Amino acid sequence: MKKKIIYLGCLIALLLVTSCSDSFLNVESPDKESIDEYYNSQSRIFEALVAAYGPLEWFDYSFGEYNPILTMSDIMADDVWVGGADRTDNKFWHLMANYEALPTQVMTNAWTTCYSGINRSNNVIYYMDDVKSIPDATKNLYLSEAKVLRAYYYTILWKFWGNIPYYTKNLSYPYIQPQSKADEVYAGIIADLDDAIKNGGLPMKADGSEYGRVTLSMAYMLYAEVVMYQNDASKYDTALQYMNNIISSGKYQLVSKYDSIWTKSGEWCDESIWEINYKNEGAIRSWGNPQAAGGTVLPRLISPKDWADGTAGRDNGWAFEPVRKETYNIFEAGDTRRNATIFDASKYTYTKRYEDTGYFLNKYMARTGYNAGQKADADLNYGNNLRIYRYSETLLNAAELLVRGAKGTGDAKTYLNMVHSRSGLTDVVDATIDNILQERRWEFVGEGKRYWDLIRTGNAAKVLVPDTYGYRTNSWTDKKKYLPIPQGEIDAAQGTLTQNNY
Amino acid sequence: MVITSNLAYSHMRAKGITTNSEFGSALGSALMLSPILTVYAPDEAAALAEYAGNSDFTPVRDPRNGKLYTIAGSNYNEIVNPLASLSLPGATNWTDKFVGNFSGELNLWQQLRFKTSFGADLAFWGDDGYTKKYYLTSNNKATRSQVYSQMNRSLTWQIENTLSYDKKIGEHNFSLVLGQSAQETSGRQLGGSNYDMVEEDGSKANINFTTGMQEDGDMAVYGGATTPHTLSSYFGRISYNYAERYMLQATVRRDGSSNFGPNKHYATFPSFSLGWNITNESFMEKRPEWLTSTKLRFSWGKNGNENIGAFGYMALTSTGNNYIFGNGEQLTNGTKPSILANKDLHWEESVQTDGGIDFGFIGNALTLSVDYYVKRTNGMLMTMPVPTYVGESKPTGNIGKMENRGLEFELSYKFKVNECNFNIGGNASYLKNKLIDLGNSTGYSNYDSMQGLGTITRAENGQPFPFFYGYKTAGIFQNMDEVRSYTHTTSDGTTTLIQPNAVPGDVRFVDVNGDGKIDDNDRTKIGNGTPRWAYGFNINVNWKNFDLSMMWQGTIGNDIMDVTRRVDISYVNLPSYMLNRWTGEGTSNKYPHFVMGDNVNWQSSDLYVKDGSYLRLKNIQLSYTLPKMWTSKLFVSSLRFFVSAENLLTFTKYDGFDPEISSGGTSLGVDRGVYPQARVWSVGASLNF
Repeated sequence: MKKKIIYLGCLIALLLVTSCSDSFLNVESPDKESIDEYYNSQSRIFEALVAAYGPLEWFDYSFGEYNPILTMSDIMADDVWVGGADRTDNKFWHLMANYEALPTQVMTNAWTTCYSGINRSNNVIYYMDDVKSIPDATKNLYLSEAKVLRAYYYTILWKFWGNIPYYTKNLSYPYIQPQSKADEVYAGIIADLDDAIKNGGLPMKADGSEYGRVTLSMAYMLYAEVVMYQNDASKYDTALQYMNNIISSGKYQLVSKYDSIWTKSGEWCDESIWEINYKNEGAIRSWGNPQAAGGTVLPRLISPKDWADGTAGRDNGWAFEPVRKETYNIFEAGDTRRNATIFDASKYTYTKRYEDTGYFLNKYMARTGYNAGQKADADLNYGNNLRIYRYSETLLNAAELLVRGAKGTGDAKTYLNMVHSRSGLTDVVDATIDNILQERRWEFVGEGKRYWDLIRTGNAAKVLVPDTYGYRTNSWTDKKKYLPIPQGEIDAAQGTLTQNNY
Repeated sequence: MVITSNLAYSHMRAKGITTNSEFGSALGSALMLSPILTVYAPDEAAALAEYAGNSDFTPVRDPRNGKLYTIAGSNYNEIVNPLASLSLPGATNWTDKFVGNFSGELNLWQQLRFKTSFGADLAFWGDDGYTKKYYLTSNNKATRSQVYSQMNRSLTWQIENTLSYDKKIGEHNFSLVLGQSAQETSGRQLGGSNYDMVEEDGSKANINFTTGMQEDGDMAVYGGATTPHTLSSYFGRISYNYAERYMLQATVRRDGSSNFGPNKHYATFPSFSLGWNITNESFMEKRPEWLTSTKLRFSWGKNGNENIGAFGYMALTSTGNNYIFGNGEQLTNGTKPSILANKDLHWEESVQTDGGIDFGFIGNALTLSVDYYVKRTNGMLMTMPVPTYVGESKPTGNIGKMENRGLEFELSYKFKVNECNFNIGGNASYLKNKLIDLGNSTGYSNYDSMQGLGTITRAENGQPFPFFYGYKTAGIFQNMDEVRSYTHTTSDGTTTLIQPNAVPGDVRFVDVNGDGKIDDNDRTKIGNGTPRWAYGFNINVNWKNFDLSMMWQGTIGNDIMDVTRRVDISYVNLPSYMLNRWTGEGTSNKYPHFVMGDNVNWQSSDLYVKDGSYLRLKNIQLSYTLPKMWTSKLFVSSLRFFVSAENLLTFTKYDGFDPEISSGGTSLGVDRGVYPQARVWSVGASLNF
């Protein structure tokens, strides 16, 4: 009997030892911390800010889709064709270019990428309150950068889709945000930019080691872009003031050779106001992880098919975005921008794909060696930065605002001719709206500006009409200003999203 | 006191290939390449010359004979020569597993017993592999060799203590069990890789045999502890039996899981069952000879599911969200919340009600069982269908209600003819699956989609989960008159063409919603992958020392969506049913004419949906046992030889490779190139001492 009691005692002890309290079921992650207490120092909140920059690199390929953001508007304009293997290759590009996109056949990567960026920017602002011991100047700087980034992402959504959900604080259950009208989104973008410009302490130009960060000049350029696209005359004076601030700061000037802008050594040249950074040396972007920071796939997309790598310093590609023959002819004799923009492949051997013209976009073509040193997938890791804002646009913006009646200093004709003569042309042009728009056309082929210029000046319906080749069979109409909202979003939004009247 | 222990060890090595993918599985690639392409390049010099200028190009040769494999070319996008792809070295997976179990049982007092058991599962596994330089297509190549290796370890321990008590009072039998159990899984992982092997030699594929430099960033290493997972339960069961006539059993469990947040760890799961042995009743004593036994059963119970990843209820930090700054192109570290957290995440619960009756006839030589059940699952753990504009990956939530109801039959018959013993059994089950509530306000959600087809599966309230989604077709337009007569008349009398852009040879789509045009709103349910009936039967015959056994299985009423063809690549090989396509008036009323870059006729529609019912002889075995007289002389208690075959015969109308496809979840019934099951012949012997 004694033995049995001892046994019983041991077993009951065993039971008690293994009796489970709630703490047994509370596990800790071995390699992550809870987000709620994480952002408590300056270096950590800076990490959140860096995460807000991350989505800038995703546009060219993510979520299974290629949406290089400058190309997506250019294919809807008249400088380039879509290209590729045939009309089913990147089918939604072809449908968008012919103004017949569908909610089930429209770009969705850009939508997801922009909202990811907005979510991360909102987080910087939300978690800033938790941060202890951060100097006020740094705090304002980080908040302004987050606001300008948020404005930049919303600008892309606003231009392509117009009537979108707009929020400045991240959503919680049930994760539905009512749709805002395009004008309301515009007001939100302006509010963010005003706040950042006035309170931010943003530097006019970044130091060498900080190239890529938001600067005051970049915020100014975004402001002007948005105001001019909206044709909001009440803000022209402020926009002109901002352009003049950039000009008078003396920190930027036009480089003398236009073609040098587009090479590796031309990245962050004196003329460059803001670029999206990509790298090739040691880059690890891969098909399995396309959101890793690394290189870009745009050069591979737009280079000639079956091109022998290294010929004329160029590599092969998938033959998208071929430049139209007509675009070659818009340039005047002596304009160095023509050869800098357009690469003539007709003398070489390569496979001609759909809509081939023999001309390719030289600015972003795959140059031999520009993906050297990459460590993952060669197609995804070209180091070409995407040039978003250049000083020549500042000058042309200022000239146009002055001609449109904005009040401020500066002479439109001088500004216009600074850009005009840099290109190698020797004549002197008058500052009229048409001349400025023509200069913009010559200056910005393939830089994602032509489509928006046509729309904002009311010329889209006249210019974007069916062509003689049968590639574009529909005309642009006002209804086409806003793309269809992706069907998946309409389905998930439980009736709160109204489809655009495309 | 009784102590038992078990220990088992297993070791496994495996190499695998990609299956069921339209993006380059071995079988999918073989289906899609042109049949004119040969396995090896017919003119090696010409093939090599084509890539002469390409510095990324390293030819892939058959290691057995050195011949160059044909390169499919860029017209096939990412589809490559499958034999070339299979000839490349891959990873070998290995596993070592120790499973041990110790238990002790102690009789405490009369009928009170205490049992404790402790089990442990210690597993080590990993993979080692290497890549040599190769070029299959511009997107599928390696310009440097690489060696990679990974080792994992995990330990799962489980402890269970039960106290049981049996008591018999006259005709009443009681049994009571109380218990507690706990389990924890934890583990570690370490892996690494490096570039540039000294020589591309498989036998020397080790990370130490590489020349990649750490300062160049060639070496990669990762690892750490894995998130632990714990479960804890308390349970009690009472069984009552009166004279083997009336039976009752009731159970209560309280289970807790670490996958849910504080306050949501635990959930309670009760259940009970009743049984009535009708034939043991006094009024059944004068029953006919052939009615041996009849039992009526009823049960109701709740159980739960917590099979999701950890930390769905709380957001952690996620690093690696980097950006590049500066002239020096510095990669700068960024962090963000890992997910959208859902604090209310809790156990998924299902309630099942079952009623059944068992019959035994002729001394239980013939038995029959019939069951009817209804199972409802509430709060299914699924990804919440929130909009993408939320800016983060979608959270997991307890949404959705599903119902499964079914009927099951089981029949078996044993009989003897002369010296032959027969044992025949069969079962059939009928299943009706219905999604009651998806958990969002629209009541539907689109799931899988494919390039060029659009959405192919969808879930909707009141329908089976999931179902195939697409257009309904109604033949082919044979001539322009048919196109012109396919019209829609509105209420105010205007007549419009429903398919104004159609030409003869195009598919006639049904205008399901009657609005006069074919668009996304005309897509509807065109089939589903859940079988109506699943059945099987087995036959065992024994004559003297020979044994023959057969097992058949089959399904009725399931559809398969055959999406093995990539419609977005114009140059792929077409399936044989395309020989029956429309080529002129009257040639076909099912398949449309072939057009390069066709983006209209091959959207998701019932052209892809095929009948997947099948009957398959799953296993047949013939064996002979040597007579005991002979074998006992050699101290062998039995020696048996057998020959058997698996998957010997299949009867089906499905023209794909295998109707028994294993795609599940939201892809139930979708065939993207599933690797078919092999027909296996085996010969063997079994020896008992």
